[in-house]
This record gives sequence, structure tokens and C-alpha cells, in this order.
Amino acid sequence: MSPEEGIFYVVAGITVIGALGVVLARNVVHSALFLILSLLAVAGVFVLLAAEFLAIVQVLVYGGAVTILVLFAMMLTRVRDMPRALNGPQWPLAAVAAGMIGGISIVAVLDTEWPGETDEATVVSIEEIGNLLFTNWAIPFEIASLVLIVALLGAIILARGEEGE
Amino acid sequence: MIPIDNFLVLSSILFAIGMYGVLARRSALLILMSVELMLQAVSINFVAFAVYLSPEVFTGLVFAIFVIVIAAAEVGLALAIVLRLYRNRQTANVDEADALKW
Amino acid sequence: MGMEQAWLIPALPAAAFVVITLVGKYLPRKGDWVAIGAIAASFVLFFFVLADLLDVVDEPGFTGGEKSWEWVSFGDFEIRLGFFTDQITIVMLAVVSFVALMVQIYSVGYMRGDPRYGWYFAVMSLFVAAMLTLVLADNLLLLYAAWEGVGFCSFLLIGFWWEKRAAAEAAKKAFITTRIGDVGLLIGILMLWREAGTFDISEIFEFAEAGGYGATYLTVAVLFLFAGAVGKSGQFPLHVWLPDAMEGPTPVSALIHAATMVVAGVYLVARMLPLFELADPIALNVVTGLGLTTVLISATMGLAATDIKRVIAYSTLNSLGLMMVALGSHSVTAAMLYLFVHAFFKALLFLGAGSVIHATEKQELDELGGLASRMPLTTVTFAVGTLAMIGIVPLAGFWAKDEILHFTEVGQNAGVYGLMLLSVFITSLFMTRLFIRTFLFKSRDPESRKHAHDAEPAMTVPLLILAVLAAISGFVVFSGVGEAMGFPGGFGEFVFLEHAEEFEFNWDIVVLSTVLGAGGMMVGYVFWANDAVPATRMGELFRPVYNVLYNRFYIDHVYQFVIDRVVLTGSSIVSWFDRNIVNDTGVDGSAALALLAGWQLKFTSTGKLPNYALAISSGVIILALVFLIVKA
Repeated sequence: MSPEEGIFYVVAGITVIGALGVVLARNVVHSALFLILSLLAVAGVFVLLAAEFLAIVQVLVYGGAVTILVLFAMMLTRVRDMPRALNGPQWPLAAVAAGMIGGISIVAVLDTEWPGETDEATVVSIEEIGNLLFTNWAIPFEIASLVLIVALLGAIILARGEEGE
Repeated sequence: MIPIDNFLVLSSILFAIGMYGVLARRSALLILMSVELMLQAVSINFVAFAVYLSPEVFTGLVFAIFVIVIAAAEVGLALAIVLRLYRNRQTANVDEADALKW
Repeated sequence: MGMEQAWLIPALPAAAFVVITLVGKYLPRKGDWVAIGAIAASFVLFFFVLADLLDVVDEPGFTGGEKSWEWVSFGDFEIRLGFFTDQITIVMLAVVSFVALMVQIYSVGYMRGDPRYGWYFAVMSLFVAAMLTLVLADNLLLLYAAWEGVGFCSFLLIGFWWEKRAAAEAAKKAFITTRIGDVGLLIGILMLWREAGTFDISEIFEFAEAGGYGATYLTVAVLFLFAGAVGKSGQFPLHVWLPDAMEGPTPVSALIHAATMVVAGVYLVARMLPLFELADPIALNVVTGLGLTTVLISATMGLAATDIKRVIAYSTLNSLGLMMVALGSHSVTAAMLYLFVHAFFKALLFLGAGSVIHATEKQELDELGGLASRMPLTTVTFAVGTLAMIGIVPLAGFWAKDEILHFTEVGQNAGVYGLMLLSVFITSLFMTRLFIRTFLFKSRDPESRKHAHDAEPAMTVPLLILAVLAAISGFVVFSGVGEAMGFPGGFGEFVFLEHAEEFEFNWDIVVLSTVLGAGGMMVGYVFWANDAVPATRMGELFRPVYNVLYNRFYIDHVYQFVIDRVVLTGSSIVSWFDRNIVNDTGVDGSAALALLAGWQLKFTSTGKLPNYALAISSGVIILALVFLIVKA
């Protein structure tokens, strides 16, 4: 086992533990904190894949913005005050379904001969990604920004509520 | 170099866990978080494939960036909806918002 | 203009029907002039078609002018729709369009003031259109459609005064009775199609000549075809509807139940005669047998009938029977000649009877009589019609009847010939009775006689024209007359199946039939003169015979009994089955099952998001498994 592989198992373990925490925790806030853990670990996975830029974005957007947003929503909806069961009645079925999906995809992955494996991951510089985004991917990029604007406006309108509320 | 299988298996596990969360949890917030986990699984897949299978073009990488962008938008919008739901029905549990039944 | 445009002939009256039905209310005179104009135009068109036909009829190998379009086509299966013109068609076109024109003009007077005046002309136009289509059709499917079309119009017109219960009943009876024959016709058509794979009449002939049908198969098929003709042409045993059909307006009787629709059966057999010839001789023997039976029973029933229109209806049955006997004796020529002249004198008789009814509002022979001095014009024309029907030289009926007798003598055994001669005598007897009881001697109802008078010109002019034609139209048998009008020769040299038949004067038949006809008239005069004492005494002397005739051989009673006992019992079983099994169990049951299933299944729609998400996931899992298995 190479050092890289060792690091991978550690990071992957943290990711899986964080994920399990998200779905199993009995406290909603704990779930959110586990989510942060998991997301940061995924950033580590990206680093292992030589995608530093992505790792940075992951930390900033997910680890920062998204989780903070979720925590805000929790505060506003006061879910913590509700002492009811967090899991629905169909959770055993959900476990079976999730297990099958996971099993099927793992089987499929291991069953497949992946072509063109490289020995060394190519490090992609931020500069190259920037070039790419504004040349080949310019139109999807603009559309993505449009989506963000629309989502922003929609979220404001939805959250603000109706007149006189 | 780490074999690609490792990343793909990790992604599968992550996806399955996220799906369990989506199916089992009642709170809309928890479901959203689980959806984020599933999206992470997808991102890992994209990046792994991009790096291992076609290192000259970075389509997978760019896609992962778009996934993050869309996820951010989705979370913002979804949380607004959850807020509305909470204000209207005093709950954030999706199984209590069942007016659209028989 | 010519045979290519023959389709316009039925198209014009059809258009008139549409126009009158849609906007007739807003037209002056409720649109009767549209109907008359359309049929008059068709009559004019007929001459163009005739001229075109005469140009080519002498060419070797001519079989008829044809124009067809694709109608239905699925893959290799194709049905063409088209019109076909040959000599037989031309005769029918002449008869239908001309008599229809006369009757329509007459109707203007006869139907005046009727609350459904416009509708009458609309349906008459539709009838003419259907009849002309029937005549011109080049394939059996179109012919069948038109056949049903005329049947439907006949239903509407017999029941035109449907407020009268008898009229409604008669319409129903006519429709159902002819329908029995129509089913046979349809079976026959489908049998011919099944083997030949085409509905086209000439192609079926070619197929049959090449021996495509088995002898037995073809015989059965043509007998089914003949069943249609039996129904439509009122042959025994489906003749019962025709006398009752007299409940309709009299012009309708003249057009439909004398001159045109009822000869559709004759036309059908004449048109398909090549098939009958190819089939087993049994087929034509059946035609002859039923025709002869019809001739005899109708003539005898005519002796006892008391309604003026019914007597004429029996004479129509009689004539139709004669035509069938002619066809059974392999003679298209004789049948078509009789059909041609019969149309004129029978329409004349009906329109004359209509004038009598119009003037006196009576139609029972016991309430008529002595009208000759009040209605001279009607009397004279009616006399011409009567003599033509009896077959007195030189009126039209004489030539046609003698042709039929000639072919019967040649083509049938002595028994048939003898019975035919007997029928000449009986026909003469009852036609004489009809005329004497209506027009001569003392009136038995002086009140109605007092205000009786000849009708207006719209009604008398058609009578006069038809009387002239009834008198002279028989001369077409002579070559000289035919050639003078531009035909290749006499009727027999123009309308024939295999080879031209030049008219021959058969002295023995002429003498025999004249003696019998004149004898019948004399006996009739003795019987029914003055107060008809000898006839009454005969009726009392042979009371059982008279009763049988008066009750129409009890055929209607037998049918009624069968309907009451067999058909209604059967239909009550069917109706029980329909109500309980089909409706309650089948229809309501399946609906209730669907309702129950829907009620049960609606609870799967819980409105809860997680359930739906789980369902989607299950789908994904199943697809993934399937994919994995297929791949492995």
C-alpha cells in the first residue's frame, strides 16, 4: 500500500463517517455538523485527484455558504424544538433500497474494465480551467450565472412571503 | 497511483448513504443535506473519470464546477421553499405536507 | 359530355337533396323546383350518355364505358368505386330518370299543401340519386350501398304520413321484409368477393368465365344474390310488403313501388345473368319457379283485393314475376323490354289511381264507380294503361308480354308455358275488374262522385305523356323504329346478353295471348258489369276460395304467427341475455371492477413525498438490475 493509498483510505473513511453521521444523527444540528465534516473530506478527495481548484471551491461554497445556509434555515424553522421522530416509517425499506443501489453500483464498478488508466494524475492549473470556462464553456457558464440569479430572486420572493404577512 | 476503482466505490457508498437519507428522513432540511451528499458522490465520479480517462480535456472537472453552482442555487431555493412550508403549516416535515393525495 | 361524365346523373339529384334539406325552408315553393330541375338535368344528361354509347356500341369487343376512382386501399387490398355504362344500364337510366321526372311534376299537384312538402321532394331526390347510383355502379359494393339507400328512402316515403299508424307499420314491414333479402344479397356479394378478390362486376365475370368458382359455390352465391332480388322485387315469399307499401303517397307508389325500385331486383339478376348462366341450372330454375309462383298468386289475389292501389300493387307483383320468368328463360332482352314498357304503363296506372283518390278521397273499389263522365281524361289514360297491362295489340304491354311468352315457350317446359298463358287470362280478368269498378256504371258513393273532376295540368300532363308512351313504346321492338332513332336496330338488337335477337312475330303466341286477354276482358265485363251480380254469386258459391284469396293465401298470417311465436320468443331470450349477461355483468360489471380497482389503488397515492421518492428509487433499482443481468 502506497502512502497515497493510505491517505485515500483515511480521507474516504472520514467522508463515509461524516455521511453516515448526516443520515443517522438524532439531532438535526449534529447532522449539519457531520455534513460539514463530510464535505471537507470530499475536498480532500479532490486534492487526491489533483483537482486543487475544485477542492478550494468545495471548501468555500459547500463548507462555507451551503452549510451556513442550512443552519440558518434550521434556526428559522426551529426544527430542534420538535421532539418528534426524525425518521419516517419507511426507513427499513429505505435502507434496503439504498443498500441495493450501493451494492449494484459497486458490483458494476468492480465488474468493469476501465480503459486508459494513467499512472500519474495530470495537475490542472487554475489558469487552464479559467481559460476553458471562458472559451469552450462560455455559454453554459453564462447560463449557470443566469440560473444563480433566478434562484436568488426566487428564493427572496419565496422567503419574503406575501404582502401583509 | 490509487486505482480509479477506489474513487468509484467511495462515490457509490456516498450515493447510497445519501439516498438512504433522502428516503428515510422526514425533515426537509435533512433530506436536502442528503441530496447534497448524493451530489458530492456525482462530483467525485466526474472528477475521477476526468482525471483517469481523459486527462487532456477537463470536461468532467468543469462539470463538477457546474454541479457545485447548481447545488448552491438549489439549496438557496429549496431552503426558501422550506421556510414557506414552515410558515404555512408550522412544520418542516415533508410527510406532513400531504394535501395532494386522494 | 359522355359516358365519362355519367356520374353526374346521380350526383345532381343528390345535390338537390342536400340543398333542399339544408336551405329548402328559405327557398320559394320550398325548393320543389330544385328537385325537378335536378332530375330534368339528369334526364338531359342521359341523352348525352346515350349518344356517346351509340357511337361506340358497334365497335367489336365493346362491353361498356367505365370510369372509376380508388375508394379504399390498405396495402394490396383495394376497392374501386366507379360507374359503368352499357345497354342494360341505358335502359334503366332512361326509365328511372324519365319516370322520376314525370312523377316529380305530378307530385307538385298531388302533394300541394302537405306540411312536409319540401321534405317530400328532398327524399324523392335522394331516392332518385340512390337508384341511379345503383344502376350505374360498376362494383357490387357500391351497388349494395345504393341498394340499401333506395331501401331506406322507400322506408321514409312509405311512412311519409307516419302519423297514420298503418303507414308507419307498412314502412316497418317493407324495411324488415326487404332486409331479409338484403342479408342474402350481402352474403352473395361477399361470397363472390372471397374467391375473386374483387368487387368489380366485369372482373368477377372474367374470373367466373375462367372457371374460378366451383360450380356448387357459384350456384349458392347467385342464389344468395337472388334472395336480395326476391326481397326488393317482391317475389314470393317476400312479396308481402309491396301491397302494404301502398300506404305511402301515390306518386311514391308510382315511382318506387312500380317503375324503379322494385325492378332493381330484376336489374340485378339481369346484370348478373352471366353468373346465373355459368352456375348450375338449378339457379335459373329457382328464378323461374319463384317468378311463376309470384305471377299466379298475385294475379289471383288481385281478383279479391278491394283497394284500388292494392289491386295495382298486385299487378306490379304480377309484372315483376313475369320479368323474373323471362330472366329464368335466359332472356335479358325480354325482361328489359318488359321492364322498359312496364315502367310507363304502371306509373300511368298509379298516377291515374292517384288522380282518382285525389278527386274522391276514396280508394275502396266498393265506394267508387261511374267516374268516367266526371273524369274523362283520367279515364281514357287509365284505360290505355289497363289495356297495356293486359297486353292488347298494339299497346306496349303486348309486345313485351309476347316476347316473354315466346322465350318461355322456347326455354321452358310446357307446364310453365301453360301457367303463363293462364296468368295472362287472370291478369286480364282482374285488370278489367279494376277498370270497370272504378270508372264505369253506377257510383256506389254518389257523394264523392259529385265533386270529382279531372285534376290540374301539373297532374294531367304527366298522365297524358305516360299514356302516349304506354301506347307506343312497344314499337321499339321493330328494327325500323330503332334505326330511325339512331339505335343499331330494334330493342333485341340493342339490349342482349350473347347475341342480338331480331324481333319475330310469332302468330301462335299472338293469337293465343290476344284470345286469352280479350276473353278475360269479356268474362270480366260479364262478371262485374252493373252491380256485379255474377261476381258476387261466384264469390258466395266458392266462399272458401274467395276467403283464401281475400286473405292473401294466409301468407301474412303465417308470417305473423311465426313472428309472434318464434321470433319474439327468440328475441326475449336474446333480450334477457343482453340485459343480464351483457349489460349487468359485462358492461356494468367491468365498470364496477374498474371503479373498485380505482378505489383501492387511489390509496397508493398518499401525497407523502418519501413514498413517491421510494417508488422512483425502486424503479431505478429494477432498471439497474435488469441492465446488469442483460449485460452479464
